[in-house]
Amino acid sequence: MADLNTDTSTQSVNNTNKSSTRGSIVVASLLIIIGFITLYDAASYTDIDSKVFPQTSAIALILFSALAIAKQIMQPSIVSGIELGAWWRRIVLVGSMLLSCALMPYTGLLFACILTFAIGLIASMHDQWTQRKAMVYFLCGLSIIVCFYTLFKFVLHVPLP
Amino acid sequence: MIINKIAKHTAILTMAAAVSMSANSVYADSVNYIIPFGPGGESDISARMQQSFYKEKFGDDLIISYKPGGGGAAGWASLNGINGDGKTIMGINLPHIVIKPAQKDVGFTTEDIHTFYMFHYTPDAIVVKADSPYLSVQDLIDDAKANPGAVVMSGSGKASANNLAQIKFDKMTGIKTTYVSFKGTGASTVALLGDQVTAQWGYTTVGAKQGKAVRMLAVAMEERHPLFPDVPTFKELGYDMVGGAYRGIALPSSASAATVTEWSNRIGEINADPAFRQKMLNGGFALLDIGASQMAAFMKDRTAEYLLDARAAGLIK
Amino acid sequence: MDFGNFLAALTPLNLAVAMFGVVAGTLIGSIPGLTATMAVAVLVPISFSMAPETALILLGAIYTGAIYGGAYAAILLNTPGTPSAIATTFDGYPLAKQGKGDLAVAIACFSSVFGGLVGAFALLFLAPPLASVALAFGPVEYFWLSIFGLSLIASLSQGNLMMGLAGGALGMIMSTVGVAEISADIRLTFGSQTMISGFEVVGAMIGLYCIPVLIDMCSTGEKHLKITGDVAKMPILSAARITFNSKFNLIRSSIIGTLVGILPGAGGSVAGLVAYTEAKRTAKPHQKFGEGEPDGIIATESANNATVGGGFIPTLVLGIPGTPPDAVILGALMVQGVRTGPELFQSNGSIVYTFIYGLLIATVLMLPIGLIIGRYAYKSIVTIPKAVLVPTVGFMTIIGTYSIRNSVSDVVIMLCLGVFGWLISKYGFSASPIVLGLILGPIAEQGFVQAWTIGSAVNNLPGMFFGRPLSQAIIAFTLISLILPWYLNRKKSNKGGH
Repeated sequence: MADLNTDTSTQSVNNTNKSSTRGSIVVASLLIIIGFITLYDAASYTDIDSKVFPQTSAIALILFSALAIAKQIMQPSIVSGIELGAWWRRIVLVGSMLLSCALMPYTGLLFACILTFAIGLIASMHDQWTQRKAMVYFLCGLSIIVCFYTLFKFVLHVPLP
Repeated sequence: MIINKIAKHTAILTMAAAVSMSANSVYADSVNYIIPFGPGGESDISARMQQSFYKEKFGDDLIISYKPGGGGAAGWASLNGINGDGKTIMGINLPHIVIKPAQKDVGFTTEDIHTFYMFHYTPDAIVVKADSPYLSVQDLIDDAKANPGAVVMSGSGKASANNLAQIKFDKMTGIKTTYVSFKGTGASTVALLGDQVTAQWGYTTVGAKQGKAVRMLAVAMEERHPLFPDVPTFKELGYDMVGGAYRGIALPSSASAATVTEWSNRIGEINADPAFRQKMLNGGFALLDIGASQMAAFMKDRTAEYLLDARAAGLIK
Repeated sequence: MDFGNFLAALTPLNLAVAMFGVVAGTLIGSIPGLTATMAVAVLVPISFSMAPETALILLGAIYTGAIYGGAYAAILLNTPGTPSAIATTFDGYPLAKQGKGDLAVAIACFSSVFGGLVGAFALLFLAPPLASVALAFGPVEYFWLSIFGLSLIASLSQGNLMMGLAGGALGMIMSTVGVAEISADIRLTFGSQTMISGFEVVGAMIGLYCIPVLIDMCSTGEKHLKITGDVAKMPILSAARITFNSKFNLIRSSIIGTLVGILPGAGGSVAGLVAYTEAKRTAKPHQKFGEGEPDGIIATESANNATVGGGFIPTLVLGIPGTPPDAVILGALMVQGVRTGPELFQSNGSIVYTFIYGLLIATVLMLPIGLIIGRYAYKSIVTIPKAVLVPTVGFMTIIGTYSIRNSVSDVVIMLCLGVFGWLISKYGFSASPIVLGLILGPIAEQGFVQAWTIGSAVNNLPGMFFGRPLSQAIIAFTLISLILPWYLNRKKSNKGGH
């Protein structure tokens, strides 16, 4: 499947080392926990109709995850694991988007997204910064944001904050 | 060079943005009508009917937006957090806003919702296919008495108007029918047309839409619906059932009395328009004209009735 | 079906409206978060001032354009622009990574146009008999259909079968969060008011597909997509050649799409999946589905555009919407005073036929328009420096997800799912089974509960679930698709042994 190979094309992928198989076991265990939480919640439903499906799905989840763990232990398959790449960039990017959600109710979407864009720009910039680049890139993003904001708000009548 | 290309595109976009910003002034006076369901349902359709009359009467645009989730709960829970300046209104539905809070904590109580106008209802109706052996309500009752539970009726939602009607009717007649809940009236109509079920607890709107493909056995109204002069009311047949799914509009609780009155008058004016009334009737809707001044009494009656029915049905404690 | 209606569809107004609709629809559909339903709903008020057939042509053109437009983001950003393009990511994105994104977009255009035409012709000639097919599908059939859909996960996750199935189960659990449709219970919200609305499918889709791509893009410095050849020129001829060489795939997928479109509630995402799996099942040995096989795109894009025409069949013949955009269009017609329902063809035949011809014309117009817009889409995504692309796409996901239900919490959920999706994708779990489970879960649950209720009432549960011929056919298909991956694996290991 296409998205099993989420590595960027030039990163080295073959990480059959212990830490990534361990990682996939951890993830599968997390799913098993989710399955048990679901079963626990399902016990409290009043209508029997609403219990059947969550219970069946939870049991399926636990079963398949357990089998996945078993398979990983016996026949470790290649999983890419987390490749090289700057962690600070990843955190800043996601953080900037979460920030816009936090700010949105107070400052409106436009300002929040402009701020997010600026931070995201810094996080994604790998080349050297020049004054000109900084200005052009930022203005570019600014105009895209303003353009889409007006499109959504005034043409499509979406009630943006 | 890429930088130059970007700079060029940036300039174009900025100009486009400026143009649309100036177009924005056109929409400065528009009003937002939030429907707490997805597009295409009965609430949306009746709102669209109002939308088409609003502009010509009041000059502003009535803009419909959707906030689905939780069967309406997401929208209603957020109602009182909205600015009460009168620029935002929200559709409401009975019995939803009475039954839902009574069952579980859904983020709002019935009293939180300040409805200012109830403009129509879709009367409950028993609908069967045109080729069904049931020619009257009595036929259905006889069949259900002979085969308890074997008469299967589709309807939209659980603890909804259809469900309540089924339970109430079963109690009144002493029969036992099986209710199968579908997601929306469209789905329950498909089940009926496909012979998956014996009959449907639907609305007059189904009869209007499906025309000759279906037969309505009875409608829950005070008098026969003008579109269906041959279909008796439940009352005529001896069963005291009048009601259905009601739809109205609410304002946030922070809205001033003046705003409420103004909106009540506006919706009332649309409701009084003969062209609007005809369109709604042609669609199978039944009109109501409960404005802000009569709302308190109306809601009190309806709430009491619904809670009574729901308790008797075992839907709430 | 007389010539007069065809001419009516060719009036300058109707042509202009068709063109505008296709352009607007394609652009709106390409933005992740804006679905075809929204595109149609938003432009309904414009239709009030038009004649009914012009309004229909406008809304139909928007609908078909939006379904096509979803392919851009699917191919170039691994994010389905609309749920119907989910299966397009399977082979579209790998092709783009290999530098053949422009080819993929062009193939998507040709396939979409072909599929759209098949669906529209089915609407024109076969509407009444096909509408009765829609009615034959009851709750049981929907249940088995969704099980079939979920079994597709098995055949799609060949290398990591257990992980794929676990993902699917997780998606199904996620679909139960919130107020239960089938009863009054509130499930898995743990008291949170935010979660009462449940996981919104499109937001979850954007989170699980797009955010991981963004995180990966920003963390390394290489170009996002390889560029081979001249960016300014679209490989139109080779795309056409590839598409039309695959005749069987094209026709079969379009038929699948039409049939799935007829079923109310199924939709373009299911159609794309079924078509993709069928194409994979009948693949020649040299074809590598999932790694950039053009036949994959041909299958999904023709199927999902065929659902447009197919969806109009129950909509116009029975007055029952085949897909959510159809529900909106029906509403717009009602407001216009058109009597929808079984009498539509009789009482308003000329409106209907003019509209169908208009839809055909709009689909044909989608070819040049789609190629032009596709070229610009490809050019911009490929040449924009990553530093600008990443935050821009991030912005679009925020504004797109917000607009679905006008909810900030949806955006937060989208981001959290995105991080979660990124993490688990590094360890062998992928996004598609989860999204599939999320989409098919409600269909499976409602179908099951309804079938159970009816079956119990007539005291014939086994007969209900297993006795109906249509269900039996679906069950047979399911078993085939489950045995298939196991069999293919056996074949591969046998080959390897030699």
